[in-house]
Amino acid sequence: MDRFGEVLSVVLGALALAYLIYEIDRRKRKLSDLFHVLGSEEADISAELVGMVESGELQPYTRGARA
Amino acid sequence: MPKTAPGSGPSRRPRAGVPRKPVVPPKTEDSVGPPDTRDEVTAAVPPLVEEPPKTESASQEATLIEEGTVIELPARVRKASRPRKYKPSGTPRFRIFIIDSGWNSVARRVLRHNFALIRRLHRDDPIYLLSRKKSTEFIRRHRSLIGRDPIIAVHDSAAMGWRGTAGFHGFHLHLGIQRTPRQALLALQTFARFLATHRLSANLEADIRTELRREGVQGAVEILLHKVPRVIGA
Repeated sequence: MDRFGEVLSVVLGALALAYLIYEIDRRKRKLSDLFHVLGSEEADISAELVGMVESGELQPYTRGARA
Repeated sequence: MPKTAPGSGPSRRPRAGVPRKPVVPPKTEDSVGPPDTRDEVTAAVPPLVEEPPKTESASQEATLIEEGTVIELPARVRKASRPRKYKPSGTPRFRIFIIDSGWNSVARRVLRHNFALIRRLHRDDPIYLLSRKKSTEFIRRHRSLIGRDPIIAVHDSAAMGWRGTAGFHGFHLHLGIQRTPRQALLALQTFARFLATHRLSANLEADIRTELRREGVQGAVEILLHKVPRVIGA
């Protein structure tokens, strides 16, 4: 009976730990998706935006203005 | 109109011997001031004309004094209000792009309601607002962005000037993945605060990874201790 209790405690502890790790990982993934760092993979996206600015297609926002 | 008996009530006509009130010049924008200051002036300047004879009752005398008092306001030349001019404090560090294809989402509504404030908080940095049509065409060319807009793209001018877009050069705020108004607003506030407090950051990428994305062991501990607003990471 004692042994069964020990095993049960270990299993429950492992489950709790696993859930904790899963929850932390899930929140980190959510934050990473929310605040997405731009690197070489997004070079084409950023280059296009920069190109639009340099060509004059995009102008800085002023009240009443919109690209 | 029936004549009022003398002494029956406050008279609206100036009595004999009591000088009339001076003609008040028409109000212009320059001369209109806050009512409080006028009252202060009125209280500060003593009456300059002789008081009426003390033959009436005390209450009528007080009324007469009020009516007969001539108050000369000191001539004030009000300066024309200067148009507000904001001078940016230096070279802009960031370029901010807002891409919104028009999903009918809570994030879009939150961004629209708070855009003016975001703009006022970040006057030093140019903000480029893509129209709905331009945003749709842009997202169509970069399909990984579908469903993540409204997107606020921030380009770090310092990083881009050094190595262009080959390495780290900024970050995106994918507001569209937030599902509730509170989530979206908190994310927007976190974003605005981060930009404002890290304008002079030497290593912006490291700051983004530790403070926004909470990477690393310390980030995990902060998530556990609920330092990250639960509603953002939920």
